[in-house]
Amino acid sequence: MAREDSVALLAKGEIPKRYQRNIGTIGVDGQKRLLESHVAVVGAGGLGGNIIELLARQGVGFMRIIDGDSFAPVNLNRQLLATERTIGMNKAAVAADRVAQVNSDVQVHAVPVMLNEKNAVELLSGMDVVVDALDSIDNRLLLCSMAQELRIPLVHAAIAGFTGQIGTILPTGPGLDKIYGKANCPDRGIEAVLGNPATTPALAAAIQAQEVVKLLTGIGETINHRLLYFDTELNIYELLNLE
Amino acid sequence: MQIEVRLFATLRGYAQSAPRGVLTIDMPEGGTTADLIAKLGINADEVHLLMVNGLNSPLSQALAEGDRVGLFPPVGGG
Repeated sequence: MAREDSVALLAKGEIPKRYQRNIGTIGVDGQKRLLESHVAVVGAGGLGGNIIELLARQGVGFMRIIDGDSFAPVNLNRQLLATERTIGMNKAAVAADRVAQVNSDVQVHAVPVMLNEKNAVELLSGMDVVVDALDSIDNRLLLCSMAQELRIPLVHAAIAGFTGQIGTILPTGPGLDKIYGKANCPDRGIEAVLGNPATTPALAAAIQAQEVVKLLTGIGETINHRLLYFDTELNIYELLNLE
Repeated sequence: MQIEVRLFATLRGYAQSAPRGVLTIDMPEGGTTADLIAKLGINADEVHLLMVNGLNSPLSQALAEGDRVGLFPPVGGG
């Protein structure tokens, strides 16, 4: 069944079986909105692989997946789309293949290049939400400034060791410079020391995907103007005010 | 004045006596967050997010008795 058929059924109040378990939470209208939405996921690694999987199952109708990197053996511990079969393959292309297996309602535009200042406007324009699943601070700051300039909400997360942070950056709200704005900002954070174990990206990505669903359906409250910080080593989950 | 400090992630390594990263620091009146970071022996470049009483604050923030300060290192992985 194609996306148009699912949307047409939902418009009549009928629920395609594949979305049946979503409806009690987001409603028929929420599901229809998701199927008609456009989301850019920038990065298809540890965070991105999990986000793409969840948004495909939840039924986001269009995903532009941007990643110029290829899978390597060091990705196997945590990156959902990295398998022994996909080593050496482009991450965005592998993601598109995975989504096609999970949900044929979802249209994917795989972009096998890194986002940069030159291609950002073209790649992000027209998106309803942009997801920051990058792994370097420089690129995150660029993505945030571009998303705010284009007036598109950005769902940010970053991870290291047992810790992670998630927040929704609105066009007029505080940006990532509030987090990474120190003068001597390195390109990498403490993940350079702590690495990234299997569970941390999955936890952060699940909350990111939920932020995307809330933004697109208008249900609930997003983590805007704030940052959810977690440290599973000591069971710390805190909402930090970024104002 | 007494300042309640909470160190996160790798910054906990600067307070071996407080394995959970929670400690009380005695500081002279008029001290700032930069003074506190120096007193803890932390390299200021390692502190990216600084919360004072729940509010995002600059390195030069003046502190007062009983303030609660949270220090966070940069997290950037994906």
